[in-house]
Amino acid sequence: MRGHGWKWLLCTPALIVLLLAASGPLLIVAVYSFLSPGNMGGVSWEFTLEAWFRVFFRRDIFEPDLVEWNTAHLQVFWRSIWLSLQTTFICAFLGFPTAWFIATRPRLTRTIWLFLITIPFWTNLLIRTFAIQEMIRNNGTINAVLMWTGLIDSPIQMMFTEFAVLLGMAYVFLPLMVLPLYAAMEKMDFSLVEAGYDLYASRLNVLWHVILPQVKPGFIAGSILVFIPAIGAYVTPRILGGGRTMMLGNLIALQFGQGRNWPLGAALALLMLVVVVGALIFYLRVVGRNDEVRRG
Amino acid sequence: MQKEIEITGLNKSFGQGASAFHALSGIDLSIGSGEFFTLLGPSGCGKTTLLRIIAGFEEPSTGVLKINGKEVTGLGPSKRPINTVFQSYALFPHMSVADNIGFGLKMLGKPKSEIKSTVAEMLQLVRMEAMADRLPSEISGGQQQRVALARALAPRPRVLLLDEPLSALDLKLRKEMQSELKRLQAETGITFVFVTHDQEEALTMSDRIAVMSAGEILQLGPPQEIYNAPVNRFVADFIGDTNFLILRVKEIGNGEAVLELPGGRQASARLPESISPPVGSRVTAVIRPEQAEPTAAGQGEMQAVVEAATFFGTDTHLHLLLDDAQGFVLRRQNRPDQPSPAPGTRLGLSFAPGALRVLED
Repeated sequence: MRGHGWKWLLCTPALIVLLLAASGPLLIVAVYSFLSPGNMGGVSWEFTLEAWFRVFFRRDIFEPDLVEWNTAHLQVFWRSIWLSLQTTFICAFLGFPTAWFIATRPRLTRTIWLFLITIPFWTNLLIRTFAIQEMIRNNGTINAVLMWTGLIDSPIQMMFTEFAVLLGMAYVFLPLMVLPLYAAMEKMDFSLVEAGYDLYASRLNVLWHVILPQVKPGFIAGSILVFIPAIGAYVTPRILGGGRTMMLGNLIALQFGQGRNWPLGAALALLMLVVVVGALIFYLRVVGRNDEVRRG
Repeated sequence: MQKEIEITGLNKSFGQGASAFHALSGIDLSIGSGEFFTLLGPSGCGKTTLLRIIAGFEEPSTGVLKINGKEVTGLGPSKRPINTVFQSYALFPHMSVADNIGFGLKMLGKPKSEIKSTVAEMLQLVRMEAMADRLPSEISGGQQQRVALARALAPRPRVLLLDEPLSALDLKLRKEMQSELKRLQAETGITFVFVTHDQEEALTMSDRIAVMSAGEILQLGPPQEIYNAPVNRFVADFIGDTNFLILRVKEIGNGEAVLELPGGRQASARLPESISPPVGSRVTAVIRPEQAEPTAAGQGEMQAVVEAATFFGTDTHLHLLLDDAQGFVLRRQNRPDQPSPAPGTRLGLSFAPGALRVLED
């Protein structure tokens, strides 16, 4: 220890906040998921596994013993995972060239480009999302321009589709992919790229064999930063997706709001946590495998 | 000698207009096949830019570059039969030593069996057989250097470019790698173009040296010629140690000048063809520190007083003051039976005919 033992005290304020805002509530959510719903929302203190049961299954209204899979919930789960995966891919695909562009600028102008990347964070997410709605709704800007030029006769339905949700989420989360990618590229030794060309590699081969392995940590960090908030996204699917493309965040909010079934909401929330942690572990296992083989 | 690289009228400037920086101007150069050619100069002299143009990482602003008789201007580095050993080695950190060495052959689409045998051959050539499966981060700097060499040699390029490859190594390792490089060049017969700012490295390794400064080649020739007959003050100063003396011209004739030495005696010195100083004017003349010998006081061409002596192991540097107060450094081989003279000792200096040369400033 050599007299450094007291230094852990420095993180106690943060630990207290974490305890009050994360661990405590998480514990409460866990407890609620095993209670019965109260009549006007809230919970009544009777232990039951009903909430967990209803996450996966549905009872027939007239014959409670008739049980079937709750496909609505599973659909929302699947949609959330699928849309988040797509969002991650889109962000990676769009973020890579952006980060590359910034990383290859002169040192002085890089700061300006990075600054521009952060500008969207200055405006409230809700307002930005409504602005997207303005662009893509049936009598919005895009449809108006397309109809004015005569390219289409009737407006293209974009609002309340998965496309709208993807567009919104890709827009919101793109900086979270660009920044870690940029950080990885900035650390990269660009003479490696020259070495690649020098050793007869084509552009594609340099990208694949030299650049991508070098920026892999950036991709890993970026994917995690995009995928996790995407799977719990609330505002974007709520406004741009509407009821038809509901995601997990909306389903959970519904249970705590109009649904008046807090235990079910709590169970869904916990299940989401499990899915995210599971996905994370799986992802790191798969991505990290090559390194382990090398080290072994 | 067959020409491997031919450069004519090559210029390179960065930026445009008044703020343009002329990195290279009017480079004419031909490098023979199988030659160990060195570009020598201080940092910022354009030697690395010239190397990068030969490699294809930069395009010349004007001028023609031919490799093996074919013009390559406009071809990218992946289209030139040239490989580079980078200053930072630039080994792919995620690939094993063997994969690094095999990378060029893999990109050329060579069959797996050929890659495998060539990699084994290269590992043997640089004595790294035991390290084939290590990552670059798991081997030492000197070993990384060898891998970088093997990687660049594996595709059997016509020309190997080396960008200050030894500068990151400590002295002992650097000496070792110098002879290693000479051995590799002799064994492979590949043309080596070597960039360095280390004059000793250049002198010991090269067949020919091009001394560069401010984007121009000042002198081009074999090491002996560069050392013994530097064309101007810059080259004389940059290569080895030199005593510069300002002396008066007494007579001119036959490509030689008779100069008045400190103390009144006279000596003749070679005169470069480019200058013809008038009789009575002052010129710069040089004598290398090891080309003068101490004699008894009153004898020799010049008289001097010992100011200080610095011991260097194999030899001692005597810092002398000549009769007209000009400084002079004399290098003297150490011998147990000849202790170096104490400060304050008067002694004479003699030098062989030809040791004294007049230089263009």
